Amino acid sequence: MKGQISRRDFLKAGGLTLLGTAGAMTINQVGQPTRVASAMQHTHGYGDAMAMAVGEVNHEKNGFNPSDMLTDFDYGTVSTLPDGRTLREFEIFVLNKEIEVMPGINFPAWTYSGRLPGPTIRVTEGDLVRVRLHNASSHPHSMHFHGIHTAAMDGVPGTPGVIEPGESFAYEFDAEPYGLHLYHCHVFPLARHIAKGLYGAFIIEPKGGRPPVNRELVMVMSGFDVDFDDVNDFYAVNGIPFHYQMHPIQIKVGETVRVYLVNILEYDLINSFHLHANFFNYYPTGTSLTPSEFTDTIMQTQAQRGILEFSYKYPGLYMFHAHNAEFAELGWTGNFEVVP
Amino acid sequence: MTENTVSHSRGGRINLTKAVLLILPLIILGGVIWLFLTTGGGLKLTAPVPVEALTIERTFMRPGQIELTVRNASPEALSISQVIINDAVWLFTISPGPSIPRLGTGVVRLDYAWSQGEAYAIRLFTSNAIPFDIAIPVAFETPAPDQQSFLAFTLIGLYVGVIPVYLGLFWFPVLRQLGRRAMVFLLAATAGLLVFLGLDTLAEAIEQASSVAGSFQGIGLIGIGAVGTFLLLDAITKRQVAIGRNEASQRLNLAYMIAVGIGLHNLGEGLAIGAAFNAGEIALGSFLVVGFIIQNITEGLGIIAPVLRDRPGIKNLALLGFVGGAPAILGAWIGGFSPSPTLTVLFLAIGTGAVYEVVYEIVKLIQKDTARQAMPMTVFSGILTGMLVLWVTGLMIK
Repeated sequence: MKGQISRRDFLKAGGLTLLGTAGAMTINQVGQPTRVASAMQHTHGYGDAMAMAVGEVNHEKNGFNPSDMLTDFDYGTVSTLPDGRTLREFEIFVLNKEIEVMPGINFPAWTYSGRLPGPTIRVTEGDLVRVRLHNASSHPHSMHFHGIHTAAMDGVPGTPGVIEPGESFAYEFDAEPYGLHLYHCHVFPLARHIAKGLYGAFIIEPKGGRPPVNRELVMVMSGFDVDFDDVNDFYAVNGIPFHYQMHPIQIKVGETVRVYLVNILEYDLINSFHLHANFFNYYPTGTSLTPSEFTDTIMQTQAQRGILEFSYKYPGLYMFHAHNAEFAELGWTGNFEVVP
Repeated sequence: MTENTVSHSRGGRINLTKAVLLILPLIILGGVIWLFLTTGGGLKLTAPVPVEALTIERTFMRPGQIELTVRNASPEALSISQVIINDAVWLFTISPGPSIPRLGTGVVRLDYAWSQGEAYAIRLFTSNAIPFDIAIPVAFETPAPDQQSFLAFTLIGLYVGVIPVYLGLFWFPVLRQLGRRAMVFLLAATAGLLVFLGLDTLAEAIEQASSVAGSFQGIGLIGIGAVGTFLLLDAITKRQVAIGRNEASQRLNLAYMIAVGIGLHNLGEGLAIGAAFNAGEIALGSFLVVGFIIQNITEGLGIIAPVLRDRPGIKNLALLGFVGGAPAILGAWIGGFSPSPTLTVLFLAIGTGAVYEVVYEIVKLIQKDTARQAMPMTVFSGILTGMLVLWVTGLMIK
């Protein structure tokens, strides 16, 4: 319904030539479902039909757009410590926020800094990391990092890292080991705290970095239980179901793409990633520079993550999605648009 | 204004004082409601999430398309935001629009390549993230109101209602030979039969009432339909008695009443079968039809029980059979082509009321017959036999 309202508002706005809002709202109108479907298959009839939401969420109101999230890495405020080490400081706020996860359906989310998933924190091995978490919500929350750190910095009940509403705390640790990790709230009931949206990717670069690639993308897989029956109703990568199906990710033929893929899906045992018409090198947890597998499908349980590297040989529109077909049809599906 | 009220009727004169006294409580009531609505009356009554209710009135399936008629039974308007079918979010259209006013209906259309005979689960999400589920246990093309399906529903009604009732009437010549005791037994058996049918109809009405939108108060509707029908038929009978018809014509009259009661019951049966056939829930196998014929043959028997000692004539017998059986055809048409849960509940309630009124009439007739010679065991065994006959034949079809 929200989608319909925004469409009507858009028409009104156009009539009144409110250029500013109209401009923002045209973004919402891009990628009508039928256009994507017909671009994918040049036939009509049953074969053209595919799982798809009606309308589009209001990204402006949500305050984030999954298309921008792909390459939005937060390197923090960088300074050098007296001993020559790099200090990276981050400020993160826990906020209660209504997020339109599906067109017309609002989800009362708990977020890190108003987005879902939270900011992608990116540091280098050996850095001193200081993350100050301000709890501006109505519940106690924490930030539990996957990595190596002291018990006091673990963000679990019984440690100072569990923060009451209105308070704040700085988690401080050395960045190790290098790899692709994640962070999430560790206050109980855990499943609810995670499923409500408190999670994000955490990348530790190896010293000297990974081999250069043309494009780096981050993808966090999750689900939404909008009616709170502990069963997911919708699935998504980077927060909004079907987003990359409506707005394919543009890459070029021959470009090397690196995807940081994290699974934080609650309530379902596993999640997966399948790339169409291609194969990729897979680096589980990103803790090695040598790939463990050359494949087109991988499986991850909750908190499992890994790095994918691939390039496309031919131009065209290629799907990527969970190969749990149910998840795909409930939102976790997207397209790469490979251009010459 | 006051001139008008004063001038009327001599018996209970209404003057200004009376009129004011009559209206005063209503004015105060209006004031109290206004006060409560504006101040909240000290109660905090805003729900954190709006209460929403949606009932599914009709599922219509044609190749490559599913159409759902839904009714908003919640206190306020609601909006359908997304539709999921068999765990896949699916494109849909809704007419007249996504927002459905209170008690209004909307038609949700999905272009979906469903397969004959498979099961589908559809979930509608409102803008408040409240899910409403619709199950299609067996997908089946909804018969369009064309000549062929019209004929099909007519045949169903014929098999289930008309044929068995007429078959029952064929016992008339032999039953005429029976003695008084056997006749009382037969009347009692008819009463038992009807008590059973009435319960069956009532249960069906209550079951159907659960799929009626809450605001239409299905159970209340059953009360209105059943009690109203009972009292109306009772009034009609009493009027005829008062007119002073002879006993034979009164008995024939009772036979017609029984036919009407059974006819209304068969209308309900036809509705249920038509609707089930429509929803693809029924594989109207020959077994089931045979079961209905066996069970309903007893209905024909019941119709003729009061007139066994008279000569009603072939015309009356034919008409009795028609009144008792033909409504099944009408029911199948209505149930098959435009099933409405509310209408179904009302029809079933009317059937219940009619059946029990007829039981009441039969009981009066038996009392008349047993006034001279008491036959308590005959009545007891007759009623029980009537009920058991239906129960046993029911074993075959349920």
